[in-house]
This record gives sequence, C-alpha cells and structure tokens, in this order.
Amino acid sequence: MKMPSEWTLRRIIAFVAVLGIGVATYITIADSGGGAPTCLAGGSGCETVANSSYSHIAGVNIAVFGIVGYVLLLASSFFANDAARFGGFAVALGGFGFSVYLTYLEIFKIEAICQWCVASAVLMTIQFLLNATRLIGYAGTDEVASAERA
Amino acid sequence: MSGQKEREKRRDQRLAEEAEVSTSDRRTRLLQMAAGAVFLVVVVIVVVIVVNSSSSDSGGDAENVSEVATVDKLLDGIPQEGLVLGKASAPVELIEFGDLQCPVCKEYSEEILPDVIESQVKSGEAKIDFRNFTIISSESIPAGAAAIAAGRQGRGWNYIELFYRNQGEERSGYVTDAFMTSIAKGAGVKDIAKWNKERKQKKTTEEVEATFEEAKKFGFDGTPSFAIQGPGTNGVELPGTLQSPGEFEEAIEEAS
Repeated sequence: MKMPSEWTLRRIIAFVAVLGIGVATYITIADSGGGAPTCLAGGSGCETVANSSYSHIAGVNIAVFGIVGYVLLLASSFFANDAARFGGFAVALGGFGFSVYLTYLEIFKIEAICQWCVASAVLMTIQFLLNATRLIGYAGTDEVASAERA
Repeated sequence: MSGQKEREKRRDQRLAEEAEVSTSDRRTRLLQMAAGAVFLVVVVIVVVIVVNSSSSDSGGDAENVSEVATVDKLLDGIPQEGLVLGKASAPVELIEFGDLQCPVCKEYSEEILPDVIESQVKSGEAKIDFRNFTIISSESIPAGAAAIAAGRQGRGWNYIELFYRNQGEERSGYVTDAFMTSIAKGAGVKDIAKWNKERKQKKTTEEVEATFEEAKKFGFDGTPSFAIQGPGTNGVELPGTLQSPGEFEEAIEEAS
C-alpha cells in the first residue's frame, strides 16, 4: 500500500481535528448549559456520564481538555517538520490513552455510555493512527523530500 | 584544475553522505522516542486501570466513615425536628428535594449550604427541610428511609450530611445495611435497634415515596431542587436555580 503524501495526511489530520473540536465543544456546552448541573431523573447515558464524578478534573469538564488536544493537533498539521510530527504524535498518543481510560470508566465504573464521548474517542483513535503514520513515514525528512516520497 | 574539480566533487559527495546519515540518525532517534512514549503510555494505562479496579473506593465504605467531626461541628447547636434543620419559629422555610446518592447534592452539601446554615439557619432566619427525591436508583429509597428514621431521633441532618460526605460510586451497590448502620452510628443515632426497625417500616418508605411524588408535582426532574416559602412569598414558590451561597441568601431574604 502506497504511503499517502505528508500533505494529504496533514489535511486529513486537520479535518479530523476540526470534527473533534466540534464534538468536544458540544459536550462542554451541553454539560454546562441550562444553569446548575443536576442529576436527571431517568437520564440517558450522556446525562449519567456527564453527572458522574469522573466527568470533571479539578472542576474542569474533561471535554475542555479534548478541545485543547484537538486544537494542538490542528496546529501541528500546519507544519511539516519533525517537531510538528512528533508533537502531533505525542498529543494524539496521550489523547488516545486518555480515551481508552475514559471508555473503561464508562463501561466498568459508570456503567453508562455517552455517544458523544464515544465519538470523541473514535476521532482521537483516528488521530493517533494518522499521526503515527505521519511520524513513521516522514520522520527525519524535510518538506520537499516528504512531498517527493508521495 | 581537474584535480580541484575532483576534490570538490568528492567533498560534495562526502557532505551528502554525512547529511543522509544525520537524517537517518535523526529519524531513528525520533522513532525510538515514539516507541518509548507508546510503551510508557501503555504501562500507565494498565497501572491506572489495575489500581482503579482493585482499590476500594474512597467513599461508600462501611468500615471507614469519615468527617463525623466536620458534620458535628457544622450542625452543633442547631435544633432539628425530623428532617428540618433550624428553629421551628424560623419564618422562611427552604425545601431541598435531594437524593442521598446524588453527587451534585453532595457538592451543595459540602460547598454551598454550609454558608447558608452558618448564617441564616443559625440566626433563626430560615430552616431547611430535606425531602427525599429518589431518582438515582432504587438504593436511594432505603437510604432516604434511614434518614427519616434518624430524624425521629433528632439526628436526621447529621445522617444526611454524613451520608453525602461518605458517598460511594453511583449505582455501585454501596448502600448496604452495614453502610447505612455505620452512617447512623457516626451521626449519633442513639437507639440503633429502633432506627433499624423504623427505617424498614412501610410507613417510612411511603413517606419517601410521597415526597418523590411531591417533587414531580412541582415539575422537578433533577436533584437538588429547591422550593421556598415565607412571609414574602405567595405560598410555596420555586426560586429557580441557586448556584451560590449568595443566591440562597438572597432568595431567603426575598422570602422573609
């Protein structure tokens, strides 16, 4: 299978990052909207997860960290150098690892599934695979060389 | 001349080879770092998950009820009648519909209501009436009934506050007889046998169910939810979302 050009990978990374920003922003707004948070009677998975003690770290909604991660990934897609490749990979790796942990919590601790959280986890997994491909394929190369490899 | 060109050509070749080796080294280093990072993240995730699975929860532990002294200090000297905290003569009644398993109610209990209790409840301006609105799970019903039974011995609010501060994970099955008994003992319920008998009585459970229905009639769908009545209100009114001690104090003043 032919390695896609780094330019192609960067564009896909940017696109997926924008989707991720959208999902994480929606989760943040949905959690904080409507006044004080409440535990909802007969709530579905998203309300259960949002109201669990795992949904915040130091008072900050976890989705905010997702927004930060996706913004960093978007930024890394603008540059074709080793710093951007490794930086993007590191952020995607951390985001992927955190998504695995959060999914474990949803299934085994909270015992409820939030579709939006799953969507963000899928997007972060895609980011991890894209950034790993980019790093493996183009680490150590300059932009001209990486274009030529395509 | 050709000798000089030869030398320059060899020099260029040598520089190109050195650049290629340098790039290859750099690439190898980066990939090694990436592999190391992946290994580290995998280890961290595995450790966190294993520790999380095996360690006991910080709350919901019948053997380890904490913050008894904090609750005693908070409520010291404030009269209680059933699940009403404050002087019976207080003109304003703040009604809290809560679920003892609700983590948001726990936050209110720990971070918002203490200021209201210290200022307006202690001074006799208001009293707080806790009513069960059991929405989290079926375990909330025996928890609420146990609070009512503790209230019959004048320790209802001690029970409620201690329960909140020792909450376990939602729906994890931590609300056992052993856990509730530990809370009751920590709350200072004197006659545990009487408390045990009364909490299991049908009339106590019916009281829990009745306040659930009352909350639904008010249109509440979450906890904690608040209602208020006093000289300045037209019967029982809904003050809306109150998110800070200041907002509670304002609502109580308006109802005075």
